[in-house]
Amino acid sequence: MPGGDLSEFHDELRAVAAGLLGAAGAGPGAGAGDRVPVDWQRVAAAGWPGFEVPGALGGADATFAEVAVVLREFGRAAARGPYPAVAALAVGALGLLEPGPGRDGLLRDTAAGGAVPVLALDAETDDPAPFRLARTPDGPVLDGAAGFVLDAPAAGRLLVPALDPGGTAVIVDTGPRADGLDVTERPVVDATRAVGRVAAGGVTVRPESVWRFRGDPDGALRRLRDRAAVAMACDSLGLSEAMLDATVAYASVREQFGRRIGSFQAVKHACADMFVQVALARKLVAAAVRAQAEGSAEAGVAASMAKSYACAAAVDVVGKAMQLHGGMGYTWESGVHVYLKRAVLNRSLFGPPALHRRRLAERYRGSAERA
Amino acid sequence: MTGGMTGGGSAATPADLGAFRAHVRDWCRAHVPDGWRRAQTGVPDEEFVSFQRAWFQELRRAGFAVPHWPAEWGGGMPVAQQAVLYQELAAHDAPRLVLAFVAIHHAASTLLAAGTDAQRHAHLPAILDGEVWAQGFSEPDAGSDLAALRTSARREGGTYVVNGQKCWASGAAHADWCLLLARTDPAAPKRHGISYFLLDMRTPGIDVRPTRQATGESHFCEIFLDDVAVPAANLVGPENEGWRVAQRTLGAERGMTMLELAERLAHGGFRRLVDACARPGPGGARPLDDPLVLDRLAALETELTGLRALCAELVADDRPGPADASVAKLVYSELLQRLTDFAAEVAGPAAHTELRRPLSSGWESGAWVLDFVGSWEWTIPGGTSEIQRTIIGERGLGLPREPAGA
Repeated sequence: MPGGDLSEFHDELRAVAAGLLGAAGAGPGAGAGDRVPVDWQRVAAAGWPGFEVPGALGGADATFAEVAVVLREFGRAAARGPYPAVAALAVGALGLLEPGPGRDGLLRDTAAGGAVPVLALDAETDDPAPFRLARTPDGPVLDGAAGFVLDAPAAGRLLVPALDPGGTAVIVDTGPRADGLDVTERPVVDATRAVGRVAAGGVTVRPESVWRFRGDPDGALRRLRDRAAVAMACDSLGLSEAMLDATVAYASVREQFGRRIGSFQAVKHACADMFVQVALARKLVAAAVRAQAEGSAEAGVAASMAKSYACAAAVDVVGKAMQLHGGMGYTWESGVHVYLKRAVLNRSLFGPPALHRRRLAERYRGSAERA
Repeated sequence: MTGGMTGGGSAATPADLGAFRAHVRDWCRAHVPDGWRRAQTGVPDEEFVSFQRAWFQELRRAGFAVPHWPAEWGGGMPVAQQAVLYQELAAHDAPRLVLAFVAIHHAASTLLAAGTDAQRHAHLPAILDGEVWAQGFSEPDAGSDLAALRTSARREGGTYVVNGQKCWASGAAHADWCLLLARTDPAAPKRHGISYFLLDMRTPGIDVRPTRQATGESHFCEIFLDDVAVPAANLVGPENEGWRVAQRTLGAERGMTMLELAERLAHGGFRRLVDACARPGPGGARPLDDPLVLDRLAALETELTGLRALCAELVADDRPGPADASVAKLVYSELLQRLTDFAAEVAGPAAHTELRRPLSSGWESGAWVLDFVGSWEWTIPGGTSEIQRTIIGERGLGLPREPAGA
């Protein structure tokens, strides 16, 4: 559990983030889905991309716990912008790499807001490194494709997880406009999100752009997938909280049959169920964030619990929100649909709930052997 | 928060906790009676009672009986250690304190929050020595609408004369004392005319009759009260303030009970379920080889993990949210119901041949069909799931109340 000082800092950060994202036109009251991305310079000026960047490189020397606070506010505001891809994934990947001039420079630029790196992690498959690096007389050449990369269209730099000729996972630093590299935007129902297919066909890579992980490379890729899952859980938690608040506010003023509808037991109990789901999601997400920040051995388990529960619960919660807003909730103008689409997308990205539960269930085999 | 029933608040380091866990493990290996489940299945009541009394004293000697009480009364264990204690007791399948449950939780939290010094000194040490308590709140016409209770207490000099009928008093057949709500002002609005008493069950005029419940067991009782004299010194809090005393202490007590129950469900019930799923059925197939079973197990484990965190926070938090206790109770009872329902399903027809539950076991004894039937003992008493949802909606979310009279 965070100490008193840290939790006060998180409360402050939450309020600042809610203010900044609200001012950017996001949030439950913001209506229809045609949102503009939150201005990246304002995000960078707030210091959010640099939380996990070392102080020596212009960062805040903070942890994933602070990133998670902002991710949750992005969810609460259903905000557009590449923050999850940059802060949760790209900076997360860079942090796991051997230090070097290229990596350090990119971290510095990211913290300063000049660079927008995106990790080409495929949110659609469980393949951690769908790219291959081949050795050729002209140097290393990159091939492969990731079909569903979050915020790829916004990428200033692409960090591509690949297997080198020896089968070791590495990160390849490249640009979205490199020869042979193709980033194709794939419009999705959730209008608050940008997704792209990243394909590399014979991309020539400079040797100094091939960056190696510190320690176990496969473990590093697993940790990145866990971080991605937790990032989605944070987003889903925030958007659930927003929809619970909006629904309670609406049920407290909307009148039918001469009563405020929140006084009807059917409505009240549905709100209570939303509250319970949000309370459980909050606990599981907090545990997963803590485990990520501490690099604990149980981080994978906690990530799968948070992802499977919080992302499924969010769909239930927003579904109830739409139902309890009645006809108004079904209009484009109300904006509830924005949250529903985002919740349903979050549930699908980086492993649907069933996949994460399958991971959890692998641990029961120990029991099977005992019996 | 007035009870102070959260044990010690000081944070324990992981190393301390590890050492404490090892200590509890050693203790469990040395003290949990071998084969108690079999020995306690289907035994007569007297044997159950003497087994429970002996186990309580065993725990007391180790400092494990009332860890949640304040240090001055024999508790004071940090919350993180309490969680470890309950985890290990469950993992080693230690018997639960069934007979002492109301005494160490409801009675103690009432006395600590609202009792006089004399009442505390009279009863807290006595509870450690084995004084058994029951709760006399519900009545035939006052269930969810508890404030509609009609049992009356008429003041006559230094005593109150009590008449009426209570029901659903768990363990009353063995109780020495009873927490009693009775109406002292019939003219006042219903919540304002109720007082809270400590009732000595040896007083003349008390008749206790067990009620056989859905599981076939009979630990709930009706209590008939016929001109029962209660000394005025046994009033808890001011006259006619009993409703407020009950509201205050119910929430305080809930946190304590939930931590133990949640850890028991996770480390006893869930593990037992996984083990059961690992055993081959009559056709040779194991439920654990079925991906649908694995999916359900993982979902249950996930929710249990969330519940355990909620309960730990409820106990550790000096100022819990107004609906936190209701959330924990609702989640626990519905999760217990779903877990035992699923267990009864995967355990198949053979589970139906378990005709008795081992007394002193948890709510998830492993006799899954009876456990499932018995799970309504959690979704109905202590405020039904519907009442909890109303509390969450109104106190937790601030939604408008039902119109008066509805």
